[in-house]
Amino acid sequence: MLQIHTHRNAPARLLPALALLALAALPASAAQAEGKLVIKAGRVIPHGGVDPIENGVIVIEKGRITAVGDKDTQVPWDAVVLDYPEYTAFPGFVESHTVRGTDRPNENIDVVPFLSVRDSVDPVSFYFEDALRWGITTINVQQGPEAVIAGQGMIVRPIGMTVEEMTLRPSAGVKLVARPKSRGFSSATQLQVMRRAFGDLRRYLEQLVADKKDGNDRARREALFQGRDLTGDNAKGRAMEGSAWKVAGLEGVPRGEIDAKQAPLLALVEGKMSAYIACASPMDVHHALQIARENGFLARSVLVISADCWKAADEIAEAGVPVILEGELMHSERDLYTGKLVETFVPRELNKRGIRFSLSSPSGQSSSLAYQAALAVGEGLARPVALDAVTRTAAQILGLGDRVGSLEVGRDGNVLLLSGDPLSVTTWVERVVIEGREVYDRSKDIRNRHLLEGRSPTGTTPMGAGPEDAHVHDELTPPEDHPDTRKDKKPGEAPEKGEKKDPPKGEGHGGGAEERQ
Amino acid sequence: MLIAFTLALAAGTSSGPQDNRSWTVQAATVYTAAGAPIENGVVTVRDGKIAGVAKGGGGGGDQHLNVAAVTPGLVDMSARMAPGMGAVEQSREITPEFDVAGALDLFDERWNSLAKTGVTTALTCPPDMNVIGGLGVVLKTEGPPSLAARVVLREAVLRGAFGSQPSQRNRGPSGRPENFYVRRPTTRMGVEWEHRRAFYDAAASRQDPERAFPGSERLVAAMEGKLPFVVQAWTTQDIRTAIFLKEELAKEGFGSLNLILDAAAEAWKEPQLLVRSQCAVVLPPFPEQGRTGEGAFMAHDSAKLLHDLGVPIALSAHGSTARASSLGRQAGFAMRGGLSFDAALAAVTLTPAKLLGVDKRVGSLEAGKDADLVLWNGPPFEPSSAVVGVIVDGRLVLDPRARDASQ
Repeated sequence: MLQIHTHRNAPARLLPALALLALAALPASAAQAEGKLVIKAGRVIPHGGVDPIENGVIVIEKGRITAVGDKDTQVPWDAVVLDYPEYTAFPGFVESHTVRGTDRPNENIDVVPFLSVRDSVDPVSFYFEDALRWGITTINVQQGPEAVIAGQGMIVRPIGMTVEEMTLRPSAGVKLVARPKSRGFSSATQLQVMRRAFGDLRRYLEQLVADKKDGNDRARREALFQGRDLTGDNAKGRAMEGSAWKVAGLEGVPRGEIDAKQAPLLALVEGKMSAYIACASPMDVHHALQIARENGFLARSVLVISADCWKAADEIAEAGVPVILEGELMHSERDLYTGKLVETFVPRELNKRGIRFSLSSPSGQSSSLAYQAALAVGEGLARPVALDAVTRTAAQILGLGDRVGSLEVGRDGNVLLLSGDPLSVTTWVERVVIEGREVYDRSKDIRNRHLLEGRSPTGTTPMGAGPEDAHVHDELTPPEDHPDTRKDKKPGEAPEKGEKKDPPKGEGHGGGAEERQ
Repeated sequence: MLIAFTLALAAGTSSGPQDNRSWTVQAATVYTAAGAPIENGVVTVRDGKIAGVAKGGGGGGDQHLNVAAVTPGLVDMSARMAPGMGAVEQSREITPEFDVAGALDLFDERWNSLAKTGVTTALTCPPDMNVIGGLGVVLKTEGPPSLAARVVLREAVLRGAFGSQPSQRNRGPSGRPENFYVRRPTTRMGVEWEHRRAFYDAAASRQDPERAFPGSERLVAAMEGKLPFVVQAWTTQDIRTAIFLKEELAKEGFGSLNLILDAAAEAWKEPQLLVRSQCAVVLPPFPEQGRTGEGAFMAHDSAKLLHDLGVPIALSAHGSTARASSLGRQAGFAMRGGLSFDAALAAVTLTPAKLLGVDKRVGSLEAGKDADLVLWNGPPFEPSSAVVGVIVDGRLVLDPRARDASQ
């Protein structure tokens, strides 16, 4: 039936196929989500703070964990059982801050808290596929650092074909950037633009209250013109909340009349939204804390810091804010006078001062969350702290401590089945379960197989080479038969036997799939 | 002696304990790279040499170190410590007589960075801007800053490069009359032709001394298999070109090149070709997404695949002194690709030492060899283990006790 279509309507041909896929996928996943799953593993590590359970059992019902225990744990009679005595069960890793998985992470306007990465997240980005491969099941996606007050981030799971399917928390706070924008911004400009944004908000609110008192209904007309909802709670005014500063009389203004462009900053000042503040140097930390204090959102602030910022660790500890450490764990600098290289292991400095911190994976495999945690252990961080820094603590920092980051009753059923210890270099993520659904199986991961063995996924190799043909030159012609070894060889002469089987350059090993990201 | 002492002072490396080159290093596991690991072992170091490796424990004092694991100092066959274009003779493409030792800056702090990642012996070659760039030198990464003190083997290998890199900075005449800046070859065809011509010319000089040219005796030594010919060959195409040249020279009766393929990321694609050619392979760092910066695709199981076929393999950091991509980390990544721990250890110690002909002195922990040791705080090559101590020729370059004190 498909053959009657010509190449002209190739997209049309795709549609029924996609619809079929969707139909096939949906009922199965829905059934699983409603169903019961039992995971039996040789070892269960619920989180960093407790001893592993040998021959442990995890029961997941309706996507949530209902029991974790040893082999005698009661399991529902009708549950699907995954029994892997050779594997270690571990909570899914939590990526507490990334700008990856988006289509262009930076909006170059300085103040855009009304934007949301929801409109930028690309569900088919390779990043999300890689995330599963590396066992990351919860991701805080935020706008990039080329802004002053950036858009709102969101928390997603790396599964689903639409942003809605992926969403765990549609709004995960506003990203603020204390480090200066790279093009022509000094720290002073950055700070001034940030202060002005809050000043603008204050003046806007004051004007709104004054207008209302004067009987000027400009804001209402604008809201109606925009088709905004002015019923229910939006019809009511509410006194301004928050600890730092207030505009009196806001209770007289229906909340629905407040400009949507100003609403996110107002939510921030009222303490109703989190702030992720990016800092690249110790002075940025100072600025970030200052702005947060001035505007009353210190209690809801998380600093996203680079290694350099450890020098402001005392100030961070005093402010009591948690941090997300991005990139390098080790800060190195040269003493100006002695020329000596001074290295500081940042997690130790944070831990010593009782600062809650999580680790983030800046890029690819050698900096996956497991790898970051392992490096931290190598440098002397206690293993439980390191494990939690990529799971439980990360979840707590995101305000999701009761949902993800550990294998405990009531948490989401996000379970990794690992071939070995979570921190070992030889360990592979074998299976991933998110909210009770099996979403990854390494034995079926063709791209991983390609990276590991160089084998190409079926059908992606031109010239008919299948997955088993990757090592095409296993049986070579003897040297004397080879054109290159013949004395009468001329440049450009047609290749013979040995070379015929050569996969076409560039495509022969996987269609360059790994380059697409 | 006095001169060496003065130099040491100048470099600020002279101090009491540093001059002391005798230690006892106790470890929960001693990986000797020459036989089974020893649980609860002690490596005794006397005056810069290994005096003994044995089971045992106890002991104390200033000269006693106690760690989780000890391995031999790592040997990097692709250290790339030559100072860029400062080590490239640009008047000719074939400069087999040039010795890179003359261009090395032993005061460069990268040596120290390299040593702290656990690399104690390194092969440094001329950069790959010439077709045959010259002679590589094997030297220690730490010690007094003089060649006399640091060299393990001078004129250890002859370095060549395939692919288009040696032609990249060259240009043909355009518009103006030919001038000084016109330099060839400008294609990879030209690069291969330069290789072939050099060896054929050298072969001719063997018959007729009149036809000798600077360095032709090095090319002859390479063809006779006496001087290893280490070539850069990232892709399948480059690897084939190199191997077919070797086979061509053999067929002509010129001799048998001792060919070592450096940065051979795509060696996994034609493993049987490597078996047939009896070449050794130096693998570049494992790329994160499979493809190297040079566009070669390196399967993650490359090291295992080649090792299982009996191809001698060495791993390399290919010039990186960063901890994240250090040689020890590469051994870990090779293990992730399926290589056993023992094979991974060999690929960063004894195998490269043998390939370079310096295994009498380095590459394993055996009595009489140089006291080059790496001290680890956990199982070597695991990311959760760090290099906490390094001893080069009995000198404590990185002190594990300093680390304990800082925690």
